[in-house]
Amino acid sequence: MNPALRRLAAACLAGLVLVAGGLTFQQAVAGPGYRDDLRNPRALLDRAERPRGQIVTADGVVVARSEEGADGARVRLYPEGDLYGHVTGYASSYFGDTGIEATRAADLRSGNDGSLTAALFRLLGGDLRPHQVQLTLRDDLQRVAAAALGEQRGAVIALDPSTGAILALVSHPGFDPNVLATGDPAEGNALDADPDQPLLNRAIAAAYPPGSSFKVLVAAAALATGDYDPGTELEDRDELALPGSTAVIRNSDEGFCGDGATITLQRALAVSCNTAFAALGMEIGAGALLAAVEGAGFNGTIPFDFPTAASVLPPDGLADDLPALAQTALGQRDVRATPLQMALLAAAVANGGEIMRPYLVRAILNADGEETSLTRASAWRRAMAEEVAAALAQMMEAVIADGTGWRAAVPGARVAGKTGTAEVPGGAPDVWFIGFGPVDPEPGEPRIAIAVLVEDGGSLGEDGSGGSVAAPIAQKVLAAFFGG
Amino acid sequence: MSRLTEAALVCLAAAVAAVGAALAPLAAGDLPTYDTLLAPAVFLAAFGGLLLAVRRWAPRAARTLLPLAALLTAVGWVEVARVDRDLGRLQLWWLLVGATLAAATLFVLRRRGVGVLRRYRYLFLVAGLGLLLLPLLPSGWPVRGVTINGSRLWVRLQAGDLSLSFQPGEAAKLLIVAFLASYLADRHRALTNMPRRLGPVSLPEPRQLLPVLLAFGVSFAVLIYQRDLGASLLLFVVFAAMLFAATGRYAYPAAALALLAGGGLAAYRYFGHVRVRVEAWLHPFADFAGSGYQVAQGLFALGSGGLTGTGLGAGRPDLIPAAATDFIFAALAEELGLAGGLAVVAAYALLAAAGFGIALRARDPFRKLLAGGLTLTLVVQTVLILGGILRLLPLTGITLPFMSYGGSSLLANLVLIALLARVSHEEGS
Repeated sequence: MNPALRRLAAACLAGLVLVAGGLTFQQAVAGPGYRDDLRNPRALLDRAERPRGQIVTADGVVVARSEEGADGARVRLYPEGDLYGHVTGYASSYFGDTGIEATRAADLRSGNDGSLTAALFRLLGGDLRPHQVQLTLRDDLQRVAAAALGEQRGAVIALDPSTGAILALVSHPGFDPNVLATGDPAEGNALDADPDQPLLNRAIAAAYPPGSSFKVLVAAAALATGDYDPGTELEDRDELALPGSTAVIRNSDEGFCGDGATITLQRALAVSCNTAFAALGMEIGAGALLAAVEGAGFNGTIPFDFPTAASVLPPDGLADDLPALAQTALGQRDVRATPLQMALLAAAVANGGEIMRPYLVRAILNADGEETSLTRASAWRRAMAEEVAAALAQMMEAVIADGTGWRAAVPGARVAGKTGTAEVPGGAPDVWFIGFGPVDPEPGEPRIAIAVLVEDGGSLGEDGSGGSVAAPIAQKVLAAFFGG
Repeated sequence: MSRLTEAALVCLAAAVAAVGAALAPLAAGDLPTYDTLLAPAVFLAAFGGLLLAVRRWAPRAARTLLPLAALLTAVGWVEVARVDRDLGRLQLWWLLVGATLAAATLFVLRRRGVGVLRRYRYLFLVAGLGLLLLPLLPSGWPVRGVTINGSRLWVRLQAGDLSLSFQPGEAAKLLIVAFLASYLADRHRALTNMPRRLGPVSLPEPRQLLPVLLAFGVSFAVLIYQRDLGASLLLFVVFAAMLFAATGRYAYPAAALALLAGGGLAAYRYFGHVRVRVEAWLHPFADFAGSGYQVAQGLFALGSGGLTGTGLGAGRPDLIPAAATDFIFAALAEELGLAGGLAVVAAYALLAAAGFGIALRARDPFRKLLAGGLTLTLVVQTVLILGGILRLLPLTGITLPFMSYGGSSLLANLVLIALLARVSHEEGS
């Protein structure tokens, strides 16, 4: 009998080895697939059953909170509707998480993950209630920015140039995160399919031709060479024929920028003189321009809470193509910039040439509202020398005082800026305003830098310009900042 | 292994129960309850008592059996108590009853040994078959069958307000193995000879085959009338394996395989519940909300556990149907991961090795077949349910020995260990 018993024993052990193999396969090989399967309710239940903390603004307005429903499941609510939608994002069991809800999920979740460590921690009197995320956004500025932009498609982004803290971030059209978090999936899908792209955060995730606002960088490049200063006289032309091309550059009013002889660099920026800047671009050359542009962060990635669209100046062939260089100097052709990038450019001028790393989360608070950790401001990169920034600040102040940006002037505050009107083939222009204030601040004085973009000329359509459409929006935000 | 090591390992199993009993309430955010103290006390009492019974009435028994059984019971209990605290408490009582019954088995056999069982083999056969068919008793009787989850494998004893449910199939498997061991020990020569010829196939005397065919018939009856795929498959495989062990003839497993294939095909064709099981096995996600639900939930649990598991108390056994009984292993593998699951499988393999070792060392055919048959029962049952959870086999509703919640199962398996211990004592040096 023993030979047969030995075979049976071998067969039994083989069966158990097969079981061990099957277990290894199901847990180690196929396991991740089962774990992430949409029909596996674990992640959903975890979300529904674990408390989630609030998101509040810097001035204490609650913009996301959780409420326990009648069935014991938690519902995520966004009391301010679409005002903060692009920042908070949404926490949806159907669409997933976006925005701060996704990037700060670990902070917002309760510390009670059911682990032994958590249980011991609580036994020892630890606090496992979920933390709150406090944004850098100021509710007053956010409201003013949203109201000023109104129904026009575009974006407003404002930040503190000395820290990088984002003070306002509005993108229109927006969306109500309540719809995506708790509403009918069909409504969420409709938002996704909407041709106006309400889910697109235009402030950071869309890049536009910057138009004349780009002249700030051309001026920075010129000043950086050391051969120019704000008083340098440039030739004043009514038109500029581009070499090796039939194209002709004209000014926006088809005339001269000044007296028809010469114009200072500062004045050329103030009146946004196309012919002068196109010539300047060709004079300083592609290398100097690229150095200044990339120094400000173009062709790179901005470190931020969310992924951002790239702001680009494709360097290929620019050195050998003078017409392209001339048009690039006017912020046309292949240059693209996000409102965030342009706001950071204004912030660089305001901050002595250094760009601080932009951020959206001011602090993590415990359930009682006490700070448990504070975001520390850190430098991202130096865009320009301090002297260049000082000269640019003076020039940009002239844009407001006596130039195209006069509509952004705030009584009692020294505001600087630059307008931009980017021609879009076959359509109304995308219009810009970038600016900051105050110029030459006292130590400790609050500071702000801003970028406003409005697509397709906004309410003025084809007649829209940076000065007429974007500057007034910035003015309201700046006035609210300095007035309050 | 020294006696001290054996005792230390049994204490280790009690420690596992203690740690589990402390962890489960902590994970739910509660302070440890009195169960935390009760559990190790019961484990020490049950397995310590059983250890003393073995020392007294089977002192030369293999020393690996009890520590392994204690460990598996402890790990299983921790998960059962974590899935359902009330079931955990009940299981502790079942453990005490089971250990007492196992000790009583050793006591009864203390003088005359397991050999005495041979005398009662036809009683065992009748009792075993009777127990198997007991659930078919009509409702309304004081002792009656109960249908749970579409299978009629429960019996409820009703006396006034008192009612007690049990699964007679668990006890029946021991009785039938004892019968087969005894019957085959006498007849293995007759069954090895195959004088009759039917074309190219050699056959033993038909008279000799009669009880064997009867046993096969019963396992199919169980399948048809009680819809108990697990028990019928278990019986069937154990019959075939014991025939092979007794005769060394491949003709028996081959014939069994042919019968199984034919019977399986017929069952698939004519029984809806078999077809549903097979469909759920092949395509668990095709009817996710229906027949595939349990298998799919088990797979989700396994996948969510991953390599190291979620940790005790952090899994979601509430999502797995029958997490405390048939699917205890899925709940366990979610919380303890592949590491814990493999450790459990290894413990079963060690138990199997110990059991077959006892069978191989036994000198007399009855003891050989008894130890072999009992070990086979244990391993086949384990492979059937684990294979079902892991989608290696169609899912058959059957308990995981020592680990699943269930008094009948725990009682039967503890007695099984006692019988193995007794055989090893009698054959020990």
